[in-house]
Parts: sequence; C-alpha cells; structure tokens
Amino acid sequence: MIYGKIWLVVKPSVGVPLFLGAVAVGSFAVHAALLTNTTWVKAFLNGNTKAVVAEGSAAGAPTAPAAKK
Amino acid sequence: MDDPNKVWPTGLTVGESEELHRNIIQGTQIFGMIAALAHLLAYIYSPWLK
Repeated sequence: MIYGKIWLVVKPSVGVPLFLGAVAVGSFAVHAALLTNTTWVKAFLNGNTKAVVAEGSAAGAPTAPAAKK
Repeated sequence: MDDPNKVWPTGLTVGESEELHRNIIQGTQIFGMIAALAHLLAYIYSPWLK
C-alpha cells in the first residue's frame, strides 16, 4: 500500500466518487466500443434464436459469425 | 512531523487515511476478480483472439 496517505490531501467525499465515476465511465466506453465494433454482442442482445440454432447445427461449436475485422 | 494524531487538511489522520485506502484496494480487487470472470465467460462465448 503505497498511496495510503492520499486521503490526507484528497478529500474522500471528492476522491471516492471521482474514482468510482471514472471506472464507470471507462467501463461504459469499453462496452459501447464492443457493441459498435463486434457483431456477437448485438446478436447476443437480440437473442435471435434462429442464428443460435443455425450456428448450432451448422458449425457445431457455438462460434460467433465471422466478425468483420 | 509524523504525529499519528495529527489531523490533515482533509480532516483525516494517517491511520484513518490508510484504513480507507485498504478498503478501496480490497474493493478494487473484488471488482477485478469479477471482471476477470466476465472476460473468461466472454472469451468462451466468443473468442476474440483466434
């Protein structure tokens, strides 16, 4: 623990929400990036059973449709 | 200078600051483990490195 004294100079009522907020914003950004740059997240959210069944019978392993790189 | 009972500008003593920080570190570790599990599940569902 090397930053244990940080709260002597940063008020916890400011630092803690700021820290949690930053993590939330970062996490949201990553999820948004995944949603826009992959196909499997949207397919998953759509839950279109047709695709899952097709994948199941065709490829056997539930690999995602080829993601456009 | 390093009086353990000295109250700093934020209103905390060194002990209180380190106690708070220990909890923050623990929370971050728990978050990290949950995230690692989520990444494992996501990779099983859709391997992105293949």
